[in-house]
Amino acid sequence: MAGRGQRGKKRREAPPQVAGNPQPFNTPPLSSVPLACPPPRNCSPFPSPEPQRGNAREEEREEMVGPQYDLVGNPLGAVRATFERTAAAATAESGGSDPVAAFRGKDWGACELFRSFLFEEDGLDKVPVLDASNLGLIKPNTLVRYRGMVQDMLGSEYYIGAFKDGSTWRTNKFTDFSPFSMPHPCDSHLWERHLFHCVPAPGQNSWTLESSPGPDVRRMSSCLATELREKRKRDGDNDDMDVSENGHEESPLFCKKLKEDDVHVPSSSTEVAEGVPEMNGGDHHIPGSSFSCLVKVYDMPDSQVKLNDVIEFIGVYTFDPELATPSDNPDDIMLDLIEDVTVQLPPSKVPRLHCLVWRKLSPHDFISRPPVVEPSPSILKGIRQSLLSHLTLVLGNDELAAQCLLLHLLSRLRNRVDVVTVGRLSLNFTGFNRESASIFGNQLYSLIQKLVPYSQAIPMSIEYLNTATLQPRKDNKSGRLVTGVLQLPQGSHLTFDETLLQTGSLTSKGVENTMLLKNLMESQKVDYDFEYYKLDMATDVQLLTLSEGKSNILPSDLVVPFRPSSVPTINAGSEELESWRWYLATIRSLPQSTEPETYQMIQDEMVSAMRDDRSLGCSELSRWLTMAQIIASSFGEKSLSLEHWQMVKELERLRKQRLQ
Amino acid sequence: MSTDDIPPSSDAGEDETDGGGAGVDATPVFVWGTNISVQDVNAAILRFLRHFRDPRDAGRVDPVMDEGKYMRAIHRILELEGGESLDVDAHDVFDHDPDLYSKMVRYPLEVLAIFDIVLMDLVARIEPLFEKHIQTRIYNLKSSICLRNLNPSDIEKMVSIKGMIIRCSSVIPELKEAVFRCLVCGFYSEPVMVDRGRVTEPHICQKEQCKATNSMTLVHNRCRFADKQIIKLQETPDEIPEGGTPHTVSVLMHDKLVDAGKPGDRVEITGIYRAMSIRVGPSQRTVKSIFKTYIDCLHIKKTDKSRLHVEDTMDIDNADPNKSTEEDFLSDKVEKLKELSKLPDIYDRLTRSLAPNIWELDDVKRGLLCQLFGGNPLRLPSGASFRGDINILLVGDPGTSKSQLLQYMHKLSPRGIYTSGRGSSAVGLTAYVTKDPETGETVLESGALVLSDKGVCCIDEFDKMSDNARSMLHEVMEQQTVSIAKAGIIASLNARTSVLACANPTESRYNPRLSVIDNIHLAPTLLSRFDLIYLILDKADEQTDRRLAKHIVSLHFENPNLEELEVLDLPTLVAYISYARKYIQPQLSDQAAEELTRGYVEMRKRGNSPGSRKKVITATARQIESLIRLSEALARMRFSEVVEVRDVMEAFRLLEVAMQQSATDHATGTIDMDLIMTGISASERQRRENLVAATRNLIMEKMQLGGPSMRMTELLEEMRKQSSMEIHLHDLRSALGTLMTEGAVVIHGDNVKRV
Repeated sequence: MAGRGQRGKKRREAPPQVAGNPQPFNTPPLSSVPLACPPPRNCSPFPSPEPQRGNAREEEREEMVGPQYDLVGNPLGAVRATFERTAAAATAESGGSDPVAAFRGKDWGACELFRSFLFEEDGLDKVPVLDASNLGLIKPNTLVRYRGMVQDMLGSEYYIGAFKDGSTWRTNKFTDFSPFSMPHPCDSHLWERHLFHCVPAPGQNSWTLESSPGPDVRRMSSCLATELREKRKRDGDNDDMDVSENGHEESPLFCKKLKEDDVHVPSSSTEVAEGVPEMNGGDHHIPGSSFSCLVKVYDMPDSQVKLNDVIEFIGVYTFDPELATPSDNPDDIMLDLIEDVTVQLPPSKVPRLHCLVWRKLSPHDFISRPPVVEPSPSILKGIRQSLLSHLTLVLGNDELAAQCLLLHLLSRLRNRVDVVTVGRLSLNFTGFNRESASIFGNQLYSLIQKLVPYSQAIPMSIEYLNTATLQPRKDNKSGRLVTGVLQLPQGSHLTFDETLLQTGSLTSKGVENTMLLKNLMESQKVDYDFEYYKLDMATDVQLLTLSEGKSNILPSDLVVPFRPSSVPTINAGSEELESWRWYLATIRSLPQSTEPETYQMIQDEMVSAMRDDRSLGCSELSRWLTMAQIIASSFGEKSLSLEHWQMVKELERLRKQRLQ
Repeated sequence: MSTDDIPPSSDAGEDETDGGGAGVDATPVFVWGTNISVQDVNAAILRFLRHFRDPRDAGRVDPVMDEGKYMRAIHRILELEGGESLDVDAHDVFDHDPDLYSKMVRYPLEVLAIFDIVLMDLVARIEPLFEKHIQTRIYNLKSSICLRNLNPSDIEKMVSIKGMIIRCSSVIPELKEAVFRCLVCGFYSEPVMVDRGRVTEPHICQKEQCKATNSMTLVHNRCRFADKQIIKLQETPDEIPEGGTPHTVSVLMHDKLVDAGKPGDRVEITGIYRAMSIRVGPSQRTVKSIFKTYIDCLHIKKTDKSRLHVEDTMDIDNADPNKSTEEDFLSDKVEKLKELSKLPDIYDRLTRSLAPNIWELDDVKRGLLCQLFGGNPLRLPSGASFRGDINILLVGDPGTSKSQLLQYMHKLSPRGIYTSGRGSSAVGLTAYVTKDPETGETVLESGALVLSDKGVCCIDEFDKMSDNARSMLHEVMEQQTVSIAKAGIIASLNARTSVLACANPTESRYNPRLSVIDNIHLAPTLLSRFDLIYLILDKADEQTDRRLAKHIVSLHFENPNLEELEVLDLPTLVAYISYARKYIQPQLSDQAAEELTRGYVEMRKRGNSPGSRKKVITATARQIESLIRLSEALARMRFSEVVEVRDVMEAFRLLEVAMQQSATDHATGTIDMDLIMTGISASERQRRENLVAATRNLIMEKMQLGGPSMRMTELLEEMRKQSSMEIHLHDLRSALGTLMTEGAVVIHGDNVKRV
């Protein structure tokens, strides 16, 4: 609270010094645009080739837009410059009629600029990752990255996207407020943006975080608030240098202003640094895990982003202390009732991100250094062998169990035909008791944690079932989706420890929870509760159950009695772990193609298997085929052959022996 | 689309219109910023109201009522003096004047204001003393927009959206006219109209003698208020794309529309989409950059389309006549459905569309289709009623995808309830009485069967249900009611539900040597209430094995070799079924009735063929009811109002396919309904009768009245000597039991004595 108060005071002081500058004082001085002055640079390690390209264009048009913007430090400058340039060109072309109308829901070149900077010029590494630890350190209105799961979709928001200021068109895109005061009646365009509430992916394992930060952020996260001053100072120097280097017309007055500005900015930044995490921490108690972000996405065709997608957003982080103060307008009751859900996500607690570029993340994106570029079968076979032997050791020399576990880890949902799901392989290890579950179970789980991007262990006890909130539920009062344990990103891994289950009675909530779990097991779907109806959300979750006997609550596809003969002791090296992660991610994304001859072969095999054993049903044969396909791809092969089918039969034979 | 250059409220429009209405000069007056000429619109609306005639009324020549549809409506409002609004069908506007329609949709604020004025003018001319304000309520726009697709270009346009109300605010009184009183002299001011949400308080008392400043105070009970309410509308589940969450929009309701819907209702709303700038921060800078949107509601209509069984013939009589006349189905959709129904292979196509991923079992699927379409319920004037719902039991080996079929049926019939027999108790299925923990009052709570009234109640693992629970089903399945007499509550609840149950055989696998009853272990009384009993057996057959293998393979690979069969997608199938159930009430044709009688007699005769002397009852009266229901359902599938001979033939075939599997007497190989009715086949009964007779003869022969008793084993020895049949001890024991009830013998432990 103290921080906010101070900042408020500062704000009142600021305007006289930055006279005529409508910027909030802690944003980089963007005023250079209307003044047609070179913009100051904020982030030094960015000598991008962009200026040359920009200059060429500039010469062509004979327009004065100044040198190119620092895309990381001042992304909005670039957005506006491109807009004004394009709009001016469009005005000239169209000859006075509404030129900006065409820009609705379209990119005028700004996103393209960022995309080429990020992905073609390796700019991605220079963009800091926004997370709970550096929330206060990152300056508002700079480019940040944020990785999170779309937890809720909050509909869309209308804003004045473009308006005419005198004879110039200006844009408000990628920002929450207009930096220029809008003349009251003016030509304006109403545009739309989508709001997503994002949270860090549930169950995200720590190794995935290591891989994501760019080198810039490592430095930033190590740089504390006290260091920030230094950094800013240097940045400021840089700015000056830039200005003089470029030798553009500059009034000494402006220069001075800049300097004055500089003096104040660092102090304010440190305030932000102290203030924001405090607010954040005070509200959430668990920093990091509950760090959410409100992402505003522009120009997105509908339903491209789905609920529970894990996405990397790159965009403008905005924080406006003015917006942060709760707006109180008691004069209008209507506002209260037509209230936005965003009201419950105050900017002081939930940072806003105006997304410029986004991409969905696959497990591959978490692997920092792929060991090989082209997955060749021989390399894959080698890694497979080392992973399998490690799994065997972790499972106390039970090779059958290790084989099954490998198949389980490689399984993924490949197809869904109405209620039938193809490709899943949930696994149930039986023969555990509390003791062995704590020994092997913990070892196993910590290994899984190191192998897959998202995993969670769930203790199946009566108490847990009766109390836990598994089902995501829409709260129609607040308009938000209240998350549950089963709101999971695609490809999550869940381990259930059923040895904790004792006799007892389930409450109605407990029954509901078990039904949810059963439904998840059987059809890979989770019912989300929307109060008046339930909505099925398709998931792809790997489920592993450890139990004493065959679990009836969680009917798995594959039941394997667990027979360990030694105690696990070993730990894997980080290099090995990395190659295994890569292996799992690669195999799971490997495409499958099968020759028509194989169909016939499999059909014949199935018929003969049914002749031998009348008890074989549709589900067993379907599972065999799933296993055969996974075995085939585990060797890096694209299509399965008779050999793989025989391996499945052998596995099944060994498994049946144990079951008797 | 800019919002700033359009007048923010309708006041501006009205001012213009006043000018236009009064202006005698010919210069056209345009609504600012548009190309709408006020006079033109004025005239067009007047033409529409005066002259529009419902084309549906065209055939009727009624000289007395030779007025337009809306003139009649206006007269009605004036006569009743109750209505304050005139509902105008936008389709009518379009039919009469497409140009007016497009203007109305594009500039609703202005055009509606003119509409209201024209209407009031008209009313004033008919009835000068009528003082109430009549509002125009437009509904049934040509196209309705998906809530998700609302975008900035729709702002200030008339839109029609469908959704579900999820929240309602309390009613807010909104000040319309304020009256002030001078604190000094007590003078009441003229009513002050509220202008854009603000009231200007007079600074000076207007009374000449007083002229006190700052003395005016608001008099609440003299002010005029209007009701206002805000509701939240959410997308209906069927409009949400996969992996999305529903969008919501706020809707503002005025006056009569307040409380027109409650949370949970599915409604269609016609209104004007509006945006309102919000202040996000205290400084001017941030104003207006973000907008809040809402819909100003003009008309609200409740819909309940997504449910499969909307209305049954049985309760049309108590349904609101106004509502039932409203077309729930869009005409083009109906046309599409009708086209589908004309396809020659519609029956097969429907069969394929039902659970397309479940392999084979075509005849079972046909039976399930019949269940979905249902027969006609019949209520005789005497009060007797015949159910139209078809009950089906599936008995089969594990792993024959029975549960999946059930799940699918449950999905198709949203009213349906899915329960598992293992966890269901009698009260859970029917209804139970509980005490409200707060008030202590007894409350009746409905169970699964009552809840699935007019739906399908799917009961999985029927065999694992407790006997008590199963016996509750007797009433439900024939009388279709649930009677409750508990804790002072005596009630009979409707449970017009079709029951779809599935069971595993007792020994988990079907034992062909046992009868169906022994296999299912269900009470015969209950069993006979199922119209169709399917035995889904896993037969060892290379051909089926191969097809199964092919099926599994095709599931796993996107196999291009498999021919794409034309199937109806789920929404179409649901629409098809619900349309058929609602609008098609087929009647038996004479030929069909004849065929039914003939076939029934044939079925009964079959057991009495000259070759066999055994009396085998092949069919019973219950079966003929089933047959009628099935043939009605089959006719419905073709949208046919007449049950034809082929429907009856197919019904017989279905029954036989089911029966041949389920009612085959394994001793004789013929269809034997007795097997289902009592659990003992006719041949078996014959054998027992023979045995009883033989035993009686033996006892008469060997034993004297009141003489010494005989051991049962001795008796068995004797019997075996005499008889050619193989006799077991338990056979003899049961025969003796029969004799004992006749009073011929007395049994003490192992000893038999003649009395």
